[in-house]
Amino acid sequence: MSNSRKSSGSRHAATSRWTPSRAGRVGTMSAAAFIFAVPILTFILMGFRQENSTGQVPGGIFSILGLSLENAKRNLDVVMSYNHGIFVTWMQNSLIVGVGGTLLAVLTALPAGYALAKLRFNGRRVLRFITLLTMVMPNTVLVIPLFLEVSAIGGIGKLWPVIVIMGFYPFGVYLSYIHFLTTLPRELVEAARLDGLSEVMVFLRIALPVSKQAVALVIFFSFVANWTNYFLPLVLLPLSEQGTVTLGLQQLIGSSPLFDPTMSAGLTTKLYMPQLALATTIMIVPVLAVFIGAQRFLMRGAVVGAVKG
Amino acid sequence: MTATMIGEPAIARPAPRRRRFGLPGTESRGAAILVMPFVLLLIVAGIIPTGYALIQSLQAAQGFGFDNFARIVGDFRFVDTFLHIFLTLLVWLPIMMVGVVGLSLLVYSSPGRFGSTMRFFYYIPGALAGVANFMLWLFILNPGQSPIDFLWNGFGFTTLNQVAQPGQLPIILAAMLFFQGAGTWLVIVNGGLNGIPDEVLEAAVVDGAGPVAMAWTIMLPIIRPWLGYMLLLNVAYGFQLFIEPLVMSQVTHGQISPQWSPNQLSYTYAYQILDTGAAAAMSVILLLISLGLGLWIVLRSGLFSDER
Repeated sequence: MSNSRKSSGSRHAATSRWTPSRAGRVGTMSAAAFIFAVPILTFILMGFRQENSTGQVPGGIFSILGLSLENAKRNLDVVMSYNHGIFVTWMQNSLIVGVGGTLLAVLTALPAGYALAKLRFNGRRVLRFITLLTMVMPNTVLVIPLFLEVSAIGGIGKLWPVIVIMGFYPFGVYLSYIHFLTTLPRELVEAARLDGLSEVMVFLRIALPVSKQAVALVIFFSFVANWTNYFLPLVLLPLSEQGTVTLGLQQLIGSSPLFDPTMSAGLTTKLYMPQLALATTIMIVPVLAVFIGAQRFLMRGAVVGAVKG
Repeated sequence: MTATMIGEPAIARPAPRRRRFGLPGTESRGAAILVMPFVLLLIVAGIIPTGYALIQSLQAAQGFGFDNFARIVGDFRFVDTFLHIFLTLLVWLPIMMVGVVGLSLLVYSSPGRFGSTMRFFYYIPGALAGVANFMLWLFILNPGQSPIDFLWNGFGFTTLNQVAQPGQLPIILAAMLFFQGAGTWLVIVNGGLNGIPDEVLEAAVVDGAGPVAMAWTIMLPIIRPWLGYMLLLNVAYGFQLFIEPLVMSQVTHGQISPQWSPNQLSYTYAYQILDTGAAAAMSVILLLISLGLGLWIVLRSGLFSDER
């Protein structure tokens, strides 16, 4: 009790003075940021280092020695020489299914989320219920049945079935549903109806212009999920050159002498930690770009939405 | 109409303030057009495969039966796979919930440049999910070149196999999953916090609520649906574990069992034993577990109470 009195007393000066609680907050947050950032930073820098003749790179908390662009260039050449530059094909495949799946998710999730939030129709509760349950269901549960379905139509090894399956994104519907439920006043919808707009036009003219936040959220989560998806491409894209970069990276790890000397013995291209780190860094660039692009949207959008609402 | 009303709570709700003006028919037709694309995908990628898994799992030598279930449950690894997931969830979920809520509240109470910079740091690891995150953790866990090799030396570990012993895998996975998931959930929980109207917070301050009381009595109840949702999806994700133990088995030369998680066992049945019936039975078991868990959390977290 005395504690809360004390902090409420110091509240007035909290913006300018270093109180113990403020120092504790800043200290805790900085320590957490350090723990999150250092592994990634040292890992990315690993791509700019070089292994010694036994394939090792010295560790330690300040393992950032021996960095150079020449090393990175050489590591890149090694990655690209793996299986005649198949890494580029993997990246392309990932981009196609990632972007395609995300577009489909946005196009289907927004109208569905809006209808669930603002319209009354037969089966609304059932649809919302099924949406939530499918969202909760591990998508790996369906991978084997999906494989049988796709192979029945002769779609194994093709990218479009992967796009269609990735486009089914109930979480996106849920995000849109919550967005329209919380930010779009019912009065606005009803006023538009009184003006004689059809339900579809109400969605296009009234709801869509205020859905930036939902679009950003759906793009963000869907693209990251698609880009990092492993199980679905593993089953639907069985050949190496059909695969996405997630499958490719696993193949690179599997053929590294670091983890499997026998398997890698016959390979001309030998990948050690610097090359694996560089390949991983390249792989995460698109997701990082979406992260950084969405950062502004997600955060400011949420704040603006709250202020306006 | 009546069929959709069965799920309604028995408690009488206040009548809607306004009846709708338009004809019910137009509203239903409009809704049908708007939900149709999603429903098509739902049928193709959700309902058909679910039905297929059910049929496959129940197909027996003669007609229908539970032979497939008997075969997968009778596998000597079956119980272990669930035990592994249970242990992992036991370590991971408390860390996840406390960590994400704690960091969200800290970020929320740090408006301005410092808070947004910190939030950015926290969610960067989310860009590495699945294989990329695993690769990063191979780098961290491998004593020879790890940035925290002093830690492994302290434990007396000099090889990856000593670090990634089966008994330690739940802890390693919990760390991996927290690292890759915390930032993304932080964004969601933060969005919920940002949605709290200023008036509510100001009223609480006027009433003399300190920061802890404010977090506990005002913010947590408001973001509770999001926390329930987070718990729900994380439990479901736990049962999905596949790529991490799979590659871990690969890089430790089988020290971690290739059938460590339920999905790996199912995958083995589907693609190595070529017994799709047993694999489908495992799919159905996982499906029932996640449905049960999902329903339980959904009903308890108030996520379904949408009539705002």
